[in-house]
Amino acid sequence: MSTEKRLDGRSAIVTGGGSGLGECISHRLADQGAVVAVADVDEPAAQLVAAAIVKSGGEAEPMTVDVTQEGEVAAMVDSVVERTGGIDVLVCSAAIEVRASLGDTTDEDWQRVLDVNLKGPFLCLKHALPVMARGGRGSAILMGSVLGAIGSPGYAAYCASKGALVNLAKQAAIEHAPDQVRVNVVSPSASETGLFIRVAESTSDPEAVKAMVAERTPMGRLATAADVCDAVLYLASDESAYVTGTVVPLDGGMAARRT
Amino acid sequence: MNGLLDGKVALITGAGSGQGRAASVVFAEHGARVVVADMDEDGAAETVQLVDAAGSKAAGVTVDVSRRPDNDRMVDFALDAFGTIDVLYNNAAIQMSGRVVECTEEQWDITIATNLSAIFWACRAAMPSLLEGDGGSIINTASVLGLIGSEGYAAYGPAKAGLVALTRQIATEYGPKVRANVIAPGSIDTPRFRKVTAAMADGDAFLEGLLGNIPLHRLGTAEDVSRVALFLASDLSAYTSGAVIPVDGGLAAYR
Repeated sequence: MSTEKRLDGRSAIVTGGGSGLGECISHRLADQGAVVAVADVDEPAAQLVAAAIVKSGGEAEPMTVDVTQEGEVAAMVDSVVERTGGIDVLVCSAAIEVRASLGDTTDEDWQRVLDVNLKGPFLCLKHALPVMARGGRGSAILMGSVLGAIGSPGYAAYCASKGALVNLAKQAAIEHAPDQVRVNVVSPSASETGLFIRVAESTSDPEAVKAMVAERTPMGRLATAADVCDAVLYLASDESAYVTGTVVPLDGGMAARRT
Repeated sequence: MNGLLDGKVALITGAGSGQGRAASVVFAEHGARVVVADMDEDGAAETVQLVDAAGSKAAGVTVDVSRRPDNDRMVDFALDAFGTIDVLYNNAAIQMSGRVVECTEEQWDITIATNLSAIFWACRAAMPSLLEGDGGSIINTASVLGLIGSEGYAAYGPAKAGLVALTRQIATEYGPKVRANVIAPGSIDTPRFRKVTAAMADGDAFLEGLLGNIPLHRLGTAEDVSRVALFLASDLSAYTSGAVIPVDGGLAAYR
């Protein structure tokens, strides 16, 4: 096996890079030679992750960005282009999860979930795709969810946002396929590192909640951060050069037993 | 088969013209009382007359579904007028085209509000009534563009795909009492569709190319869609929930 790094010198942006899956993805891309802009609405979190990457020999820069604000997204893109000359990889992993039935979902929660999970990726694509197109290559990876494909009680806004995201990716993929710019979705089920853990930990018995979800998964375990990072790395690298507009489920077989 | 909706009350948005009006008349012919909701007061009034002429009762309400309070008011109006809501048919929508990189924040926001958030607001407001008695049926109009990727529908496609996911979520959440399904129309021959092709420099060629992609080789009609809506509103579909039914002449299968 070649020791050459799979993303040597590539410029990458990871939104939501300051924690959870975004943090793991930032590290993984940097390990493979990418220059990573660790973007997060939480400034200290982004700084900590970027510093940890630099300490372990990688290249990273923290950025404070609220992805729901077009001005901030545009400024992030401009700043990365100025520093690295382009954008090769965009990972949109900033997301929030609100656990509520339709009847219990407030106006504020509904809007916030749609803004962060859907409008955020739209704005990031809108500003990053032209840069990628000019560079003649690029890969955008949106963080979907198995709940975008199947309905689940208690996740009204979250299901809607993730279902919509898949179509956004397909639209962008078709529009920019001639530019050799690719757009794909990774669609994890509950992972040990993602938003699910925060929800589980807010319950009285987190271990029981985790065990219950693992049991419902055909493979009998939650997704790991490595499962998700491996898929993101594949989609970010040239190994997936002919793959665009697709959804890669990372769900231990969960979606397979549904229609 | 007649009287499939005898004794039922149906609330239909965007019922002042086109598809919503056609469904109002079909539902009325099958015995439903209809709440005709539309932005256009005159259009709603005309539909009310058509429902009366079809031998049923209707009440018109003027609303802008992209505004949350209007959805609450619309549901309150329906309950005042007829005491219950058995069928909620979310048919109102707007369509703007534009690629992802061209779509403005304003276009994005109004499209998501009208084609996705509005349905959330209406379903949430109507749910207590839908859950009463024998339960209710929600019919949401998505689009074939919410099922397949397509060029130039940056906000519209995601909004419709989000609606499909929301509908599945509602089906799982309120399953014992409420059914929720999606109609995904393809190219339907409405006045708006004709206006769009008439405005094109090569409208005829566009239409020719479009028909070539539709296995049934014709545009859909408002009646085609209304008959599927009638199926989903009535007990004919008593065991159907969380489904997406394309009414597209086979277009989605072909793509």
